[in-house]
Amino acid sequence: MENANGTKQSVTEDSSPAEGQTGSTTPQGEQGQLLYHEETIDLGGDEFGSEENETISEDSNNFVDKLNEHLMESVLISDSPNNSEDDSGDLGCLQDVVEPAEGSAGPTLESLGDEGAVDTLSKDSESDGEDVSKDISDTTPDPDHNQVKGVPALGEEGAKDPGPGDGSTHPEGLGCTPPPRQSPPTEEPVPVCTIFSQPLPARSQPPLLLRDGFEPQMVKSPSFSGASETVAKTPPQAVQPSPSLSKFFGDPANTNSLASDFFDSFTTSTFISVSNPHAGSSAPEKLSSLSTPGGERSPGAAEPSHSPGIEKSKAGVSPASVEISQSPKPFSQIQAVFAGSEDPFATALSMSEMDRRSDAWLPGEGTRDVLISVATQQYSTVFVDKESLTMPGLKFDNIQGDAVKDLMLRFLGERAAAKRQVLNAESVEQTFVGLKQLISCKNWRAAVDLCGRLLTAHGQGYGKSGLPTSHTADSLQLWFVRLALLVKLGLFQNAEMEFEPFGNLDQPDLYYEYYPHVYPGRRGSMVPFSMRILHAELQQYLGNPQESLDRLHKVKAICSKILTNLEQGLAEDGSMSSITQENRQGQWPDFSLNNYRELSEDSAPKAFLVSHPLHWSLHAFICSFLFWEAKHRPGTRAGVCGGPDTSQGPCPRQLHPVTWSHLREDYVLAVDAYHSVIQYYPEQEPQLLSGIGRIFLQIGDIKTAEKYFQDVEKVTQKLDGLQGKIMVLMNRAFLHLGQNNFAEAHRFFTEILRIDPTNAVANNNAAVCLLYLGKLKDSLRQLEAMVQQDPKHYLHESVLFNLTTMYELESSRSMQKKQSLLEAVAGKEGDSFNTQCLKLA
Amino acid sequence: MEVNPPKQEHLLALKVMRLTKPTLFTNIPVTCEEKDLPGELFNQLMRDDPSTVNGAEILMLGEMLTLPQNFGNIFLGETFSSYISVHNDSNQVVKDILVKADLQTSSQRLNLSASNAAVAELKPDCCIDDVIHHEVKEIGTHILVCAVSYTTQGGEKMYFRKFFKFQVLKPLDVKTKFYNAESDLSSVTDEVFLEAQIQNITTSPMFMEKVSLEPSIMYNVAELNSVSQAGECVTTFGSRAYLQPMDTRQYLYCLKPKKEFAEKAGIIKGVTVIGKLDIVWKTNLGERGRLQTSQLQRMAPGYGDVRLSLEAIPDTVNLEEPFHITCKITNCSSERTMDLVLEMCNTNSLHWCGISGRQLGKLHPSSSLCLALTLLSSVQGLQSVSGLRLTDTFLKRTYEYDDIAQVCVVSSAIKVES
Repeated sequence: MENANGTKQSVTEDSSPAEGQTGSTTPQGEQGQLLYHEETIDLGGDEFGSEENETISEDSNNFVDKLNEHLMESVLISDSPNNSEDDSGDLGCLQDVVEPAEGSAGPTLESLGDEGAVDTLSKDSESDGEDVSKDISDTTPDPDHNQVKGVPALGEEGAKDPGPGDGSTHPEGLGCTPPPRQSPPTEEPVPVCTIFSQPLPARSQPPLLLRDGFEPQMVKSPSFSGASETVAKTPPQAVQPSPSLSKFFGDPANTNSLASDFFDSFTTSTFISVSNPHAGSSAPEKLSSLSTPGGERSPGAAEPSHSPGIEKSKAGVSPASVEISQSPKPFSQIQAVFAGSEDPFATALSMSEMDRRSDAWLPGEGTRDVLISVATQQYSTVFVDKESLTMPGLKFDNIQGDAVKDLMLRFLGERAAAKRQVLNAESVEQTFVGLKQLISCKNWRAAVDLCGRLLTAHGQGYGKSGLPTSHTADSLQLWFVRLALLVKLGLFQNAEMEFEPFGNLDQPDLYYEYYPHVYPGRRGSMVPFSMRILHAELQQYLGNPQESLDRLHKVKAICSKILTNLEQGLAEDGSMSSITQENRQGQWPDFSLNNYRELSEDSAPKAFLVSHPLHWSLHAFICSFLFWEAKHRPGTRAGVCGGPDTSQGPCPRQLHPVTWSHLREDYVLAVDAYHSVIQYYPEQEPQLLSGIGRIFLQIGDIKTAEKYFQDVEKVTQKLDGLQGKIMVLMNRAFLHLGQNNFAEAHRFFTEILRIDPTNAVANNNAAVCLLYLGKLKDSLRQLEAMVQQDPKHYLHESVLFNLTTMYELESSRSMQKKQSLLEAVAGKEGDSFNTQCLKLA
Repeated sequence: MEVNPPKQEHLLALKVMRLTKPTLFTNIPVTCEEKDLPGELFNQLMRDDPSTVNGAEILMLGEMLTLPQNFGNIFLGETFSSYISVHNDSNQVVKDILVKADLQTSSQRLNLSASNAAVAELKPDCCIDDVIHHEVKEIGTHILVCAVSYTTQGGEKMYFRKFFKFQVLKPLDVKTKFYNAESDLSSVTDEVFLEAQIQNITTSPMFMEKVSLEPSIMYNVAELNSVSQAGECVTTFGSRAYLQPMDTRQYLYCLKPKKEFAEKAGIIKGVTVIGKLDIVWKTNLGERGRLQTSQLQRMAPGYGDVRLSLEAIPDTVNLEEPFHITCKITNCSSERTMDLVLEMCNTNSLHWCGISGRQLGKLHPSSSLCLALTLLSSVQGLQSVSGLRLTDTFLKRTYEYDDIAQVCVVSSAIKVES
């Protein structure tokens, strides 16, 4: 190699690049090696062979290559040339990704059509195939620092090794004698063309497939663009404060109970305060003055984040009011839904204690200062920097859409599509009830929309980001649901955009104390704990695992601080003035049930943990698992090694264009976190241990995986029962899978089916094993039977993905079969169904 | 020339799918607390999802296997497995079907089909299935050539082929470096240390199952990649048994010549074959790869005919104070008696004391003599002892000895211990 003449002292640096290049077959590297014929065989014999054998000039050679690269299939599944259907969607996709990467592969394989040429490439190599791979080259010139070529292993059986002396002399002699060529099939250039011609049309598809169909699109909001018009048209309505506020302050007579009003958690409250007097405020002030004029009971004054611009905001019209006028009912409806608790007062009190526990949060220093001044300076104005206020708004208006229906329109026609009936944001009550309905029937996109509508009604609609607003526990819950659903749908970028105004979820206006008149006496954060977790985890999916972990650790630090406070007998926030005293004074007499203060000292922290079932450690685990997961999967980084096939094809879950590649974290973290989770969830120990085992299995560490699986067997021995038995069998099957023994794995999966015939996982996995055993038809039969048996349950995207993959492999009529799957799906799945698993597009 | 035959011409369809290991389905768990708006809904949805782990729904890594989603990468040393399915798309029985799968590499063509026997007949909607395996031994372009021939009902002989190209990439970058042990100044230890740097140049983590050095017949090898801790052998790589993309790991081996070779010092001279590295790794769900390096060769330190080694040298000396070293000069030639002249050349920092150009007298083959030399340093710091020249008067050949050893020169104010 080039570095052969390098001096012996300076060894280390130069060899690797050279080697790297040969790996990716740079012509220069090969050229340089022309002198050492026999030495380069295994690396790039092809191209320099071709240089010798082809009379075409380098340039034209390249050109021909380029053409051929395009035409070649290098693909997972191909369709036969006589296939009339075009179900090569994924195919094309793969190919497309292959293409750019090929560039670095350089002039490889020329003129495939002329197979003879390919055959003659072997001229430089020995006739003995096994020996070809032996590479003795670079070691000789550079003894101090060997550039070791990857020399393929000799077969498992220990195929012979020609030995050192043998190897070094051998090739030279034989190099001149070309091996017996395969009959040069020049007589049949035909099929080449048929195949080559095929992928071309498919190529236009892939970009669509590669990204999540919904991902980056920013839909302009009609309400946004039309906002100014509405302002002009409907000023009078806006003057009226939101219904809930008017209920609060304007007409106290018709509320059910004062106490319950103040605890407006939707679970207890009798109304919903999804409203915001600033809804229409379009004048962004640098400072929003916060005045708390105490006894005054006018709606505007009661609003703590009251600003000079309030008059204007009332005059200016908000889409919110428009929205409300369109659907006048919602709030009263919700009232009806939540009304009817036996004793509102008592419930409110006990809930308040639970609320206090779950709302407990420690603000950061700056935030705490603001909150203290709000609390103490009752009669003066507190100025809060606009920067430190939370001003969220919808960043996109409408992600609604039903991909299933779109596909039906495309493949099954309008009539079939018309049969598809899913709920959308309009077809349900414009309330939390409707929202829950949408979520439970898996119409998450519609649910996201409905959240958006409700938030718009609250004045945080499209385009409202950056405008002063105020928050209620309910508005934050709506945000949580919306963001959670976006994450669930894999729309991470969208979620990130809308999360952004919330900052680190520690701004003063996210605390109850900021609104002493709306939530008198209530303390803590209005941000749901789940939202903090979501906030942290989202970064993970966006490819910033470190940020995720940092955020989780911040959450953890505050949790730990609260726990310490509780252990020391203090209130959550570390204050001495705990409610306990008030309790003792008998202010809230009927208060024992949920008061964990009356539990022993020791159990108070436990109660805190119980009130946060999503304890951080669990999420630390999820988070660090993702680290690992992210690293483990090849990801979307195409062509890193100059190879063509680093692409990420369509798959049920990995479609999001998230670049996992930069993750440097450690799966060890995941395992550690798992262990800590076991402490908190001892009842899940076998599952968690199995999970650790699977992590090791995926990473390829079969031995450690086995160790964990053995632990599982020990643990499950204690608890007899079907579940433990299944777990053990499942693990054994996975272990065999790791040892490449699909037959045994299949046996164990089948064993599970014997004791639990409806086990979807075992069913699917057994079918997968069958495919690897070369039994495509059996495999398909098994999966189809399973889906037919209980379509409601088994039409899962993973199963469907396997099914469609096998259809593609099985016959040229996969399109019909996929379409019938689409029909089956259409009857059962909501708008959140991931249609990519059907591979129809 | 039917360059582009119309579709539907063939009754059979050929499909190929690479069988990488299946993957485990992962969920994106989104949960909430009971008091949150969705209440139990999120958790219920996860429980209803068949791909979640029963009883621990929040685990991302489920148990559901999914088939490979793309071709993926294939690396040297891995096994290429592929499903080949020939399906009868037509409604007639097809006879004498012969499916042949060859792998064309840059240097050879291999037949991968399990059987080369023709199938007598294939009914409509039936398949001929084959799973092929091939351990990839070459880098670069590979082409899977699948040829199908059959006879139609009408007796017409049909034939078609399909090509599937893929690139085989290099998974590892291996660099080696030899160190000659000279710890023992009194004798020539022929121990050789081999440092091997193995870099993962793939895009996914690798679990290194085995990295061992298979020594050549002349050497015994001791692996220095684990330490004994509390009686247990612990790898020096810690708990990370895997190698991240682009990460490099160093393995160290100590090679000792076997006795029968060590005695004849002359044999281990020049280029010797040390052995080869054997590397086994695993990735996703136990996907295995194995590589061996070529024979590692090492140029024994060039002692030439005359070897100069150090017998004694202080490690720390005072600035501008003479100190003594003892050199040993060995005639390594086979049968030539040498007449040597010693020259001493000063360097910037070190100055030799005594006469340069003196005769050392006759030195017989395989004999040696010891020389006490004096020098002083005019510069502080770590100084290299250089500048000795031995000239064989008979052959008029000069041997240069630079950088023989290093001494630490300190200011005289600091007391040097003995």
